[in-house]
Amino acid sequence: MSAKTLRHLIVIGLIVLWELLPRTGLIPELFLPSLSSTLIAGWTDAAEYGHALAVTLYEVVVSMAFACGGGILLGAIVGSLPRPRVLIMPMVSSLYAVPLVILYPVFTVWLGIGSESKIAFASIYGFLPTMLATAAGIQTIDPQLLLAARSMGATLSQRLVRVIMPAAIPTVLSGLRVGGALVIVGVVVSEMLISSAGIGYLISRYRTILDSPHVFAGVLLVLFLAITFNAAIRWIERKAAIWQTGTRAGHANDEMASGAMQPAT
Amino acid sequence: MQGTFAINLARIAIIVAILALWEVLSRTGIINPRLLPSASDTFVTLGDLLQRAAVQKDLMVTAAEVLAAFAMAVPFGAVIGFLVAENRYFADVAKPLLFFAFSIPKSIFLPMFILVFGVGFAQKVGFGFFSTIFIVIMSTTTAVESVKVEHLTVARSYGATPWQTAFRVYLPSMLPVLLEALRISMIFNLTGVILAEMYASRDGIGHQIATWGENFQMKQLLAGVVMVAAIAMTFNELVRWVEARCSHWRT
Repeated sequence: MSAKTLRHLIVIGLIVLWELLPRTGLIPELFLPSLSSTLIAGWTDAAEYGHALAVTLYEVVVSMAFACGGGILLGAIVGSLPRPRVLIMPMVSSLYAVPLVILYPVFTVWLGIGSESKIAFASIYGFLPTMLATAAGIQTIDPQLLLAARSMGATLSQRLVRVIMPAAIPTVLSGLRVGGALVIVGVVVSEMLISSAGIGYLISRYRTILDSPHVFAGVLLVLFLAITFNAAIRWIERKAAIWQTGTRAGHANDEMASGAMQPAT
Repeated sequence: MQGTFAINLARIAIIVAILALWEVLSRTGIINPRLLPSASDTFVTLGDLLQRAAVQKDLMVTAAEVLAAFAMAVPFGAVIGFLVAENRYFADVAKPLLFFAFSIPKSIFLPMFILVFGVGFAQKVGFGFFSTIFIVIMSTTTAVESVKVEHLTVARSYGATPWQTAFRVYLPSMLPVLLEALRISMIFNLTGVILAEMYASRDGIGHQIATWGENFQMKQLLAGVVMVAAIAMTFNELVRWVEARCSHWRT
Protein backbone atom coordinates (compact mmCIF):
# COMPACT_ATOMS: atom_id res chain seq x y z
CA MET A 1 0.00 0.00 0.00
CA SER A 2 1.42 3.38 -0.89
CA ALA A 3 1.94 5.94 1.82
CA LYS A 4 -0.65 8.21 0.30
CA THR A 5 -3.50 5.70 0.36
CA LEU A 6 -2.66 4.73 3.93
CA ARG A 7 -2.71 8.39 4.87
CA HIS A 8 -6.11 8.88 3.28
CA LEU A 9 -7.36 5.77 5.07
CA ILE A 10 -6.13 7.19 8.39
CA VAL A 11 -7.95 10.46 7.78
CA ILE A 12 -11.16 8.67 6.77
CA GLY A 13 -10.78 6.36 9.76
CA LEU A 14 -10.45 9.31 12.13
CA ILE A 15 -13.58 10.92 10.72
CA VAL A 16 -15.53 7.66 11.02
CA LEU A 17 -14.26 7.21 14.59
CA TRP A 18 -15.35 10.75 15.40
CA GLU A 19 -18.86 9.77 14.36
CA LEU A 20 -18.91 6.27 15.86
CA LEU A 21 -17.17 6.63 19.24
CA PRO A 22 -19.62 9.19 20.65
CA ARG A 23 -22.61 7.41 19.04
CA THR A 24 -21.79 4.10 20.69
CA GLY A 25 -21.11 5.88 23.98
CA LEU A 26 -17.44 4.90 24.23
CA ILE A 27 -16.65 8.59 24.62
CA PRO A 28 -19.34 10.69 26.37
CA GLU A 29 -21.08 13.16 24.07
CA LEU A 30 -20.07 15.90 26.49
CA PHE A 31 -16.37 15.31 25.75
CA LEU A 32 -16.66 14.76 22.03
CA PRO A 33 -19.99 15.27 20.26
CA SER A 34 -20.34 13.22 17.09
CA LEU A 35 -19.54 14.87 13.79
CA SER A 36 -23.16 14.81 12.65
CA SER A 37 -24.53 16.45 15.80
CA THR A 38 -21.80 19.10 15.57
CA LEU A 39 -22.73 19.90 11.98
CA ILE A 40 -26.44 19.92 12.82
CA ALA A 41 -25.81 22.28 15.74
CA GLY A 42 -23.86 24.59 13.47
CA TRP A 43 -26.46 24.43 10.71
CA THR A 44 -29.51 25.14 12.90
CA ASP A 45 -27.84 28.23 14.37
CA ALA A 46 -26.20 29.27 11.12
CA ALA A 47 -27.48 32.83 11.43
CA GLU A 48 -25.85 33.26 14.87
CA TYR A 49 -22.58 31.80 13.66
CA GLY A 50 -22.71 33.90 10.52
CA HIS A 51 -23.10 37.06 12.56
CA ALA A 52 -20.23 36.06 14.85
CA LEU A 53 -18.11 35.23 11.82
CA ALA A 54 -18.69 38.71 10.40
CA VAL A 55 -17.48 40.32 13.65
CA THR A 56 -14.42 38.07 13.82
CA LEU A 57 -13.56 38.58 10.16
CA TYR A 58 -13.74 42.35 10.53
CA GLU A 59 -11.33 42.21 13.48
CA VAL A 60 -9.04 39.82 11.62
CA VAL A 61 -8.84 42.01 8.53
CA VAL A 62 -8.06 45.20 10.46
CA SER A 63 -5.44 43.53 12.66
CA MET A 64 -3.89 41.84 9.65
CA ALA A 65 -3.41 45.21 8.00
CA PHE A 66 -1.60 46.46 11.11
CA ALA A 67 0.39 43.31 11.90
CA CYS A 68 1.44 42.33 8.40
CA GLY A 69 1.85 45.85 7.08
CA GLY A 70 3.95 46.95 10.02
CA GLY A 71 5.76 43.64 10.36
CA ILE A 72 6.75 43.39 6.71
CA LEU A 73 7.81 47.03 6.53
CA LEU A 74 9.89 46.99 9.71
CA GLY A 75 11.25 43.54 8.93
CA ALA A 76 12.39 44.72 5.52
CA ILE A 77 14.12 47.76 6.99
CA VAL A 78 15.80 45.87 9.83
CA GLY A 79 16.70 42.95 7.58
CA SER A 80 18.35 45.01 4.87
CA LEU A 81 20.44 47.28 7.09
CA PRO A 82 23.25 45.41 8.84
CA ARG A 83 23.70 47.71 11.84
CA PRO A 84 20.14 47.70 13.18
CA ARG A 85 19.95 43.99 12.44
CA VAL A 86 22.86 43.10 14.71
CA LEU A 87 21.54 45.47 17.32
CA ILE A 88 17.84 44.70 17.32
CA MET A 89 17.29 41.14 16.09
CA PRO A 90 18.55 39.38 19.25
CA MET A 91 16.35 41.68 21.34
CA VAL A 92 13.32 40.97 19.20
CA SER A 93 13.80 37.23 19.31
CA SER A 94 14.26 37.43 23.05
CA LEU A 95 11.01 39.36 23.25
CA TYR A 96 9.46 36.57 21.23
CA ALA A 97 9.92 34.24 24.20
CA VAL A 98 7.42 36.22 26.26
CA PRO A 99 3.93 34.69 26.31
CA LEU A 100 2.17 37.66 24.76
CA VAL A 101 -1.23 36.55 25.98
CA ILE A 102 -0.51 38.20 29.35
CA LEU A 103 -0.75 41.56 27.57
CA TYR A 104 -4.41 41.04 26.73
CA PRO A 105 -5.72 42.17 30.16
CA VAL A 106 -3.74 45.39 29.72
CA PHE A 107 -5.49 46.03 26.41
CA THR A 108 -8.92 45.34 27.86
CA VAL A 109 -8.24 47.91 30.58
CA TRP A 110 -7.09 50.48 28.05
CA LEU A 111 -9.50 49.85 25.22
CA GLY A 112 -12.52 48.11 26.70
CA ILE A 113 -13.96 44.75 25.72
CA GLY A 114 -15.05 45.72 22.22
CA SER A 115 -13.30 45.13 18.92
CA GLU A 116 -10.50 47.61 19.66
CA SER A 117 -8.80 45.51 22.32
CA LYS A 118 -8.93 42.43 20.08
CA ILE A 119 -7.46 44.33 17.15
CA ALA A 120 -4.67 45.75 19.32
CA PHE A 121 -3.85 42.35 20.81
CA ALA A 122 -3.98 40.42 17.53
CA SER A 123 -1.85 43.05 15.80
CA ILE A 124 0.88 42.72 18.41
CA TYR A 125 0.49 38.95 18.34
CA GLY A 126 1.05 38.72 14.61
CA PHE A 127 3.59 41.52 14.37
CA LEU A 128 6.76 40.01 15.88
CA PRO A 129 6.79 36.72 13.92
CA THR A 130 5.98 38.55 10.68
CA MET A 131 8.84 40.93 11.31
CA LEU A 132 11.25 38.12 12.20
CA ALA A 133 10.26 36.10 9.13
CA THR A 134 10.58 39.08 6.80
CA ALA A 135 13.92 40.18 8.23
CA ALA A 136 15.27 36.64 7.89
CA GLY A 137 13.92 36.36 4.36
CA ILE A 138 15.33 39.68 3.14
CA GLN A 139 18.79 38.42 3.99
CA THR A 140 18.38 35.47 1.64
CA ILE A 141 18.23 37.80 -1.38
CA ASP A 142 21.22 36.90 -3.51
CA PRO A 143 23.73 39.79 -3.11
CA GLN A 144 25.05 39.04 -6.61
CA LEU A 145 21.76 40.19 -8.10
CA LEU A 146 22.18 43.53 -6.37
CA LEU A 147 25.82 43.72 -7.36
CA ALA A 148 24.99 42.99 -10.98
CA ALA A 149 22.27 45.63 -11.02
CA ARG A 150 24.55 48.21 -9.47
CA SER A 151 27.46 47.50 -11.76
CA MET A 152 25.18 47.92 -14.75
CA GLY A 153 24.30 51.33 -13.43
CA ALA A 154 20.83 50.82 -12.03
CA THR A 155 19.51 53.71 -9.97
CA LEU A 156 18.26 53.17 -6.45
CA SER A 157 14.60 53.22 -7.53
CA GLN A 158 15.34 50.79 -10.36
CA ARG A 159 17.11 48.48 -7.96
CA LEU A 160 14.17 48.65 -5.57
CA VAL A 161 11.47 48.00 -8.16
CA ARG A 162 13.30 45.57 -10.43
CA VAL A 163 15.50 43.62 -8.03
CA ILE A 164 14.63 43.92 -4.38
CA MET A 165 10.86 43.84 -4.65
CA PRO A 166 10.56 40.81 -6.95
CA ALA A 167 13.19 38.98 -4.92
CA ALA A 168 11.39 39.81 -1.69
CA ILE A 169 7.95 38.61 -2.78
CA PRO A 170 8.31 35.02 -1.52
CA THR A 171 9.53 36.36 1.81
CA VAL A 172 6.69 38.81 2.11
CA LEU A 173 4.20 36.08 1.29
CA SER A 174 5.54 33.69 3.89
CA GLY A 175 5.52 36.57 6.38
CA LEU A 176 1.92 37.18 5.47
CA ARG A 177 1.09 33.50 5.95
CA VAL A 178 2.69 33.28 9.38
CA GLY A 179 1.38 36.63 10.55
CA GLY A 180 -2.10 36.06 9.19
CA ALA A 181 -2.48 32.69 10.89
CA LEU A 182 -1.38 34.27 14.16
CA VAL A 183 -3.75 37.17 13.77
CA ILE A 184 -6.66 34.73 13.37
CA VAL A 185 -5.55 32.90 16.52
CA GLY A 186 -5.02 36.16 18.40
CA VAL A 187 -8.49 37.45 17.57
CA VAL A 188 -10.24 34.19 18.48
CA VAL A 189 -8.25 33.74 21.70
CA SER A 190 -8.96 37.27 22.86
CA GLU A 191 -12.64 36.76 22.05
CA MET A 192 -12.59 33.59 24.09
CA LEU A 193 -11.07 35.36 27.09
CA ILE A 194 -13.17 38.50 27.47
CA SER A 195 -15.63 39.79 24.89
CA SER A 196 -19.23 40.19 23.87
CA ALA A 197 -19.22 39.14 20.22
CA GLY A 198 -17.44 36.93 17.70
CA ILE A 199 -16.78 33.23 17.24
CA GLY A 200 -14.48 32.98 20.25
CA TYR A 201 -17.22 34.48 22.38
CA LEU A 202 -19.74 31.92 21.08
CA ILE A 203 -17.33 29.08 21.86
CA SER A 204 -16.82 30.34 25.40
CA ARG A 205 -20.52 30.95 26.00
CA TYR A 206 -21.56 27.49 24.84
CA ARG A 207 -18.71 26.02 26.87
CA THR A 208 -20.06 27.57 30.08
CA ILE A 209 -23.47 25.97 29.50
CA LEU A 210 -21.77 22.65 28.54
CA ASP A 211 -23.33 22.56 25.07
CA SER A 212 -20.50 20.68 23.38
CA PRO A 213 -21.99 20.32 19.86
CA HIS A 214 -22.18 24.10 19.62
CA VAL A 215 -18.64 24.46 21.04
CA PHE A 216 -17.31 22.11 18.41
CA ALA A 217 -19.26 23.83 15.65
CA GLY A 218 -17.44 27.04 16.59
CA VAL A 219 -14.09 25.26 16.76
CA LEU A 220 -14.70 23.75 13.31
CA LEU A 221 -15.55 27.17 11.93
CA VAL A 222 -12.28 28.66 13.21
CA LEU A 223 -10.33 25.69 11.86
CA PHE A 224 -12.00 26.16 8.51
CA LEU A 225 -11.07 29.85 8.56
CA ALA A 226 -7.42 29.11 9.39
CA ILE A 227 -7.10 26.35 6.79
CA THR A 228 -8.76 28.43 4.06
CA PHE A 229 -6.46 31.34 4.75
CA ASN A 230 -3.40 29.10 4.69
CA ALA A 231 -4.48 27.46 1.44
CA ALA A 232 -5.18 30.83 -0.19
CA ILE A 233 -1.74 32.20 0.61
CA ARG A 234 -0.12 28.96 -0.52
CA TRP A 235 -1.97 29.23 -3.80
CA ILE A 236 -0.65 32.77 -4.29
CA GLU A 237 2.80 31.58 -3.28
CA ARG A 238 2.75 28.94 -6.02
CA LYS A 239 1.54 31.51 -8.54
CA ALA A 240 4.38 33.82 -7.53
CA ALA A 241 6.95 31.04 -7.61
CA ILE A 242 8.38 32.31 -10.90
CA TRP A 243 10.01 35.09 -8.90
CA GLN A 244 11.71 32.66 -6.62
CA THR A 245 15.43 32.82 -7.20
CA GLY A 246 16.46 29.52 -5.73
CA THR A 247 18.10 31.07 -2.70
CA ARG A 248 15.74 29.37 -0.36
CA ALA A 249 16.46 26.09 1.32
CA GLY A 250 14.39 22.97 0.67
CA HIS A 251 10.69 23.07 1.13
CA ALA A 252 10.64 21.00 4.32
CA ASN A 253 13.16 23.31 5.94
CA ASP A 254 11.12 26.33 5.00
CA GLU A 255 8.06 24.73 6.55
CA MET A 256 9.99 24.08 9.73
CA ALA A 257 11.34 27.60 9.89
CA SER A 258 7.96 29.22 9.54
CA GLY A 259 6.55 26.70 11.99
CA ALA A 260 9.07 27.63 14.61
CA MET A 261 7.88 31.19 14.24
CA GLN A 262 4.41 30.26 15.33
CA PRO A 263 3.75 30.91 18.98
CA ALA A 264 2.03 28.23 20.87
CA THR A 265 -1.60 28.73 20.87
CA MET B 1 35.51 42.51 21.49
CA GLN B 2 35.21 46.26 21.09
CA GLY B 3 32.26 45.67 18.75
CA THR B 4 30.26 43.43 21.07
CA PHE B 5 30.85 45.80 23.95
CA ALA B 6 29.51 48.73 21.93
CA ILE B 7 26.51 46.68 20.81
CA ASN B 8 25.69 45.64 24.36
CA LEU B 9 26.02 49.25 25.47
CA ALA B 10 23.63 50.33 22.71
CA ARG B 11 21.14 47.63 23.73
CA ILE B 12 21.23 48.73 27.35
CA ALA B 13 20.76 52.32 26.18
CA ILE B 14 17.63 51.30 24.22
CA ILE B 15 16.14 49.55 27.24
CA VAL B 16 16.94 52.49 29.52
CA ALA B 17 15.40 54.88 26.98
CA ILE B 18 12.18 52.85 26.85
CA LEU B 19 11.93 52.74 30.64
CA ALA B 20 12.66 56.48 30.86
CA LEU B 21 9.97 57.23 28.28
CA TRP B 22 7.51 55.09 30.24
CA GLU B 23 8.40 56.94 33.44
CA VAL B 24 8.16 60.41 31.87
CA LEU B 25 4.87 59.77 30.04
CA SER B 26 3.23 58.62 33.24
CA ARG B 27 4.81 61.17 35.62
CA THR B 28 3.99 64.20 33.49
CA GLY B 29 0.43 62.96 33.03
CA ILE B 30 0.59 62.79 29.21
CA ILE B 31 -0.88 59.35 29.74
CA ASN B 32 -3.20 59.05 32.69
CA PRO B 33 -1.14 57.45 35.51
CA ARG B 34 -4.16 55.39 36.45
CA LEU B 35 -3.99 53.74 33.04
CA LEU B 36 -0.21 53.59 32.92
CA PRO B 37 1.46 53.69 36.35
CA SER B 38 5.04 54.84 36.11
CA ALA B 39 7.88 52.38 35.68
CA SER B 40 9.26 53.02 39.16
CA ASP B 41 5.86 52.40 40.78
CA THR B 42 5.48 49.21 38.79
CA PHE B 43 8.85 47.88 39.93
CA VAL B 44 8.11 48.78 43.56
CA THR B 45 4.81 46.90 43.25
CA LEU B 46 6.66 43.98 41.68
CA GLY B 47 8.93 43.86 44.74
CA ASP B 48 5.89 43.86 47.03
CA LEU B 49 4.16 41.15 45.04
CA LEU B 50 7.13 38.84 45.19
CA GLN B 51 7.01 39.04 49.01
CA ARG B 52 3.38 37.99 49.14
CA ALA B 53 2.67 34.37 50.00
CA ALA B 54 -0.34 34.21 47.67
CA VAL B 55 1.70 35.30 44.65
CA GLN B 56 4.51 32.92 45.54
CA LYS B 57 1.97 30.10 45.72
CA ASP B 58 0.57 31.07 42.31
CA LEU B 59 4.05 31.03 40.83
CA MET B 60 4.68 27.59 42.31
CA VAL B 61 1.40 26.28 40.88
CA THR B 62 2.25 27.60 37.43
CA ALA B 63 5.79 26.25 37.64
CA ALA B 64 4.46 22.81 38.63
CA GLU B 65 2.01 22.80 35.70
CA VAL B 66 4.65 23.95 33.24
CA LEU B 67 7.17 21.37 34.44
CA ALA B 68 4.64 18.53 34.46
CA ALA B 69 3.49 19.32 30.92
CA PHE B 70 7.08 19.73 29.76
CA ALA B 71 8.25 16.49 31.40
CA MET B 72 5.51 14.58 29.59
CA ALA B 73 5.55 16.29 26.22
CA VAL B 74 9.31 16.21 25.60
CA PRO B 75 10.06 12.46 25.97
CA PHE B 76 6.77 11.49 24.33
CA GLY B 77 7.24 13.85 21.40
CA ALA B 78 10.92 12.94 21.06
CA VAL B 79 10.10 9.21 20.75
CA ILE B 80 7.42 9.84 18.13
CA GLY B 81 9.68 12.23 16.25
CA PHE B 82 12.52 9.73 16.32
CA LEU B 83 10.30 6.94 14.97
CA VAL B 84 8.96 9.20 12.24
CA ALA B 85 12.46 10.25 11.17
CA GLU B 86 14.01 6.77 11.26
CA ASN B 87 11.35 4.85 9.35
CA ARG B 88 10.91 5.98 5.78
CA TYR B 89 7.45 4.52 5.19
CA PHE B 90 6.14 5.80 8.51
CA ALA B 91 7.59 9.20 7.69
CA ASP B 92 5.81 9.32 4.32
CA VAL B 93 2.53 8.45 5.98
CA ALA B 94 2.74 10.59 9.08
CA LYS B 95 4.62 13.72 8.05
CA PRO B 96 1.88 15.56 6.15
CA LEU B 97 -0.58 14.71 8.91
CA LEU B 98 1.82 16.04 11.53
CA PHE B 99 2.48 19.17 9.50
CA PHE B 100 -1.24 19.72 9.33
CA ALA B 101 -1.74 19.14 13.06
CA PHE B 102 1.19 21.45 13.67
CA SER B 103 -0.16 24.32 11.61
CA ILE B 104 -3.69 24.47 13.00
CA PRO B 105 -4.28 26.80 15.93
CA LYS B 106 -4.23 24.88 19.20
CA SER B 107 -5.82 27.40 21.51
CA ILE B 108 -9.32 26.94 20.15
CA PHE B 109 -9.25 23.41 21.56
CA LEU B 110 -8.89 24.81 25.07
CA PRO B 111 -12.65 24.58 25.80
CA MET B 112 -12.46 20.87 24.99
CA PHE B 113 -9.89 20.35 27.75
CA ILE B 114 -12.21 22.04 30.21
CA LEU B 115 -15.11 19.84 29.11
CA VAL B 116 -12.98 16.71 29.56
CA PHE B 117 -10.80 17.48 32.60
CA GLY B 118 -12.84 20.17 34.35
CA VAL B 119 -11.08 23.23 35.71
CA GLY B 120 -7.90 22.22 37.49
CA PHE B 121 -4.35 20.99 37.39
CA ALA B 122 -5.01 18.22 34.82
CA GLN B 123 -6.66 20.60 32.37
CA LYS B 124 -3.66 22.96 32.34
CA VAL B 125 -1.12 20.18 32.10
CA GLY B 126 -3.18 18.54 29.37
CA PHE B 127 -3.41 21.72 27.36
CA GLY B 128 0.28 22.52 27.91
CA PHE B 129 1.13 19.01 26.71
CA PHE B 130 -1.13 19.38 23.68
CA SER B 131 0.32 22.73 22.66
CA THR B 132 3.92 21.51 23.08
CA ILE B 133 3.96 17.99 21.67
CA PHE B 134 3.73 18.85 17.98
CA ILE B 135 6.68 21.23 18.04
CA VAL B 136 8.73 18.61 19.90
CA ILE B 137 7.87 15.99 17.26
CA MET B 138 8.76 18.36 14.44
CA SER B 139 12.04 19.46 16.02
CA THR B 140 13.15 15.93 16.84
CA THR B 141 12.53 14.95 13.24
CA THR B 142 14.72 17.83 12.11
CA ALA B 143 17.36 16.91 14.69
CA VAL B 144 17.56 13.29 13.53
CA GLU B 145 17.75 14.41 9.92
CA SER B 146 20.69 16.67 10.80
CA VAL B 147 22.82 13.60 11.62
CA LYS B 148 25.17 13.11 8.69
CA VAL B 149 24.94 9.77 6.93
CA GLU B 150 28.73 9.72 6.37
CA HIS B 151 29.35 9.92 10.11
CA LEU B 152 27.05 6.96 10.65
CA THR B 153 28.76 4.97 7.91
CA VAL B 154 32.19 5.69 9.34
CA ALA B 155 31.09 4.71 12.84
CA ARG B 156 29.56 1.51 11.56
CA SER B 157 32.54 0.52 9.45
CA TYR B 158 34.83 0.98 12.44
CA GLY B 159 32.56 -1.40 14.32
CA ALA B 160 30.87 0.99 16.75
CA THR B 161 28.30 -0.60 19.03
CA PRO B 162 24.72 0.82 18.95
CA TRP B 163 25.43 2.56 22.28
CA GLN B 164 28.56 4.14 20.90
CA THR B 165 26.68 5.26 17.80
CA ALA B 166 23.95 6.76 19.95
CA PHE B 167 26.26 8.67 22.28
CA ARG B 168 29.19 9.49 19.99
CA VAL B 169 27.38 10.19 16.72
CA TYR B 170 23.69 10.86 17.24
CA LEU B 171 23.84 12.86 20.46
CA PRO B 172 26.61 15.32 19.51
CA SER B 173 25.10 16.06 16.09
CA MET B 174 21.60 16.37 17.47
CA LEU B 175 22.43 18.40 20.57
CA PRO B 176 22.36 21.93 19.08
CA VAL B 177 19.05 21.28 17.32
CA LEU B 178 17.64 19.61 20.42
CA LEU B 179 18.56 22.57 22.61
CA GLU B 180 16.90 24.91 20.15
CA ALA B 181 13.86 22.63 20.24
CA LEU B 182 13.88 22.67 24.02
CA ARG B 183 13.87 26.44 24.02
CA ILE B 184 11.03 26.80 21.52
CA SER B 185 8.91 24.09 23.10
CA MET B 186 9.31 25.79 26.47
CA ILE B 187 7.95 28.99 24.93
CA PHE B 188 4.98 27.08 23.55
CA ASN B 189 4.46 25.26 26.81
CA LEU B 190 4.53 28.40 28.96
CA THR B 191 2.13 30.20 26.63
CA GLY B 192 -0.24 27.23 26.66
CA VAL B 193 -0.30 26.92 30.44
CA ILE B 194 -0.70 30.66 31.05
CA LEU B 195 -3.47 30.93 28.48
CA ALA B 196 -5.26 27.98 30.11
CA GLU B 197 -4.92 29.69 33.49
CA MET B 198 -6.26 32.97 32.17
CA TYR B 199 -9.18 31.26 30.48
CA ALA B 200 -10.58 29.30 33.40
CA SER B 201 -8.75 28.69 36.62
CA ARG B 202 -8.71 29.11 40.37
CA ASP B 203 -4.97 29.60 40.83
CA GLY B 204 -1.74 30.18 38.96
CA ILE B 205 -0.08 33.39 37.86
CA GLY B 206 -2.08 33.61 34.64
CA HIS B 207 -5.30 33.57 36.63
CA GLN B 208 -3.91 36.23 38.94
CA ILE B 209 -3.00 38.49 36.00
CA ALA B 210 -6.46 38.08 34.47
CA THR B 211 -8.06 38.97 37.82
CA TRP B 212 -5.93 42.10 38.23
CA GLY B 213 -6.99 43.10 34.74
CA GLU B 214 -10.67 42.62 35.52
CA ASN B 215 -10.33 44.67 38.69
CA PHE B 216 -8.45 47.51 36.95
CA GLN B 217 -5.47 47.09 39.31
CA MET B 218 -3.05 48.47 36.78
CA LYS B 219 0.02 48.51 39.03
CA GLN B 220 -0.31 44.87 39.94
CA LEU B 221 -1.24 43.96 36.36
CA LEU B 222 1.81 45.62 34.85
CA ALA B 223 4.03 44.21 37.60
CA GLY B 224 2.68 40.75 36.78
CA VAL B 225 3.34 41.24 33.07
CA VAL B 226 6.90 42.37 33.78
CA MET B 227 7.40 39.39 36.11
CA VAL B 228 6.23 36.75 33.61
CA ALA B 229 8.13 38.42 30.77
CA ALA B 230 11.32 38.48 32.88
CA ILE B 231 10.97 34.79 33.77
CA ALA B 232 10.37 33.78 30.15
CA MET B 233 13.25 35.87 28.82
CA THR B 234 15.66 34.64 31.47
CA PHE B 235 14.95 31.02 30.61
CA ASN B 236 15.27 31.80 26.92
CA GLU B 237 18.64 33.50 27.34
CA LEU B 238 19.88 30.70 29.60
CA VAL B 239 19.18 28.03 26.97
CA ARG B 240 20.65 30.24 24.25
CA TRP B 241 23.80 30.63 26.30
CA VAL B 242 24.11 26.85 26.63
CA GLU B 243 23.37 26.60 22.90
CA ALA B 244 26.24 28.95 22.11
CA ARG B 245 28.60 26.90 24.27
CA CYS B 246 27.59 23.71 22.45
CA SER B 247 27.84 25.18 18.99
CA HIS B 248 31.37 23.88 18.43
CA TRP B 249 29.75 20.48 17.88
CA ARG B 250 27.73 21.78 15.01
CA THR B 251 29.11 20.39 11.79
